[in-house]
Amino acid sequence: MNKLGIEAVAQDKVKVELVDNGAGVMVKFVGDIDMEDPSILLDPLFEKIHSGMVSKKIPEITADFRGLNFLNSSGIKAIAKWIMKLAMLPADQKYVIKIAHNKAITWQVTSLPTLTFLVPGAVKIE
Amino acid sequence: MSKPDGYIEIRFGPRWKYISPARIFIQNFIAIAISDQAKADAIAMAASELLENAVKYGASEDTHCIVQAFPETGLITASVTNQATEQGAKEVQALFKKIMAGDPLEAYIMQMRESATRADGKSQLGLARIRYETGANLKLEVTPEHRVTITIEVR
Repeated sequence: MNKLGIEAVAQDKVKVELVDNGAGVMVKFVGDIDMEDPSILLDPLFEKIHSGMVSKKIPEITADFRGLNFLNSSGIKAIAKWIMKLAMLPADQKYVIKIAHNKAITWQVTSLPTLTFLVPGAVKIE
Repeated sequence: MSKPDGYIEIRFGPRWKYISPARIFIQNFIAIAISDQAKADAIAMAASELLENAVKYGASEDTHCIVQAFPETGLITASVTNQATEQGAKEVQALFKKIMAGDPLEAYIMQMRESATRADGKSQLGLARIRYETGANLKLEVTPEHRVTITIEVR
């Protein structure tokens, strides 16, 4: 089990798994997020991750999208919602989201960097 | 506009499960027609976003998609048509006007921030995403019968 004590979840064609990653954690997305309402899966997961990151004072999390073949705009909304939570945190509770992307997958090159503009300093692209 | 060298036409009932195979089919068609995988991926993403909107908000059992390739100029067009309600047609016209105003990246970021705070389950991100990520020229047509067609043109 990882530091956050969050189990892997799966729905339709996607699996999301958390693993420890040095001082931080990594959330790995594998498959396709193209279901009609990804928020059913992602909103509760991101809420758990966010609460755990803050309560356990973990400094960084890597969101690993390298195994994700497709992400629809409803999925982007869910990720944006997670990132926007960081804007509400006081400075001593903030953590950083690092995004790992696959340059061979076109949407990852065009979509993922835009997430860095949502909350200044909250998201970094690796 | 010259005659297309190739085209595909897809018509299906508004069922979510058909969108993924349609996206893959479109992606393969474009990659073969113009030998440009990145452009094929971008247009397939765009078509998929338009099909998702058509299925989610369509008022009848008919979603229609035409993709045309013009290899001489490198132009690809993709059109998605569906039947909307009067209210739905007005909403898409208002959204289109908002998305098309100003810089594509700024419009996309603004929509992302707005979508994150929406409580109605809609994202309204698809058009802004398409405009920014594909650099496409977008056109909207709405008939008096509220039949909505969105066309993207990518060079």
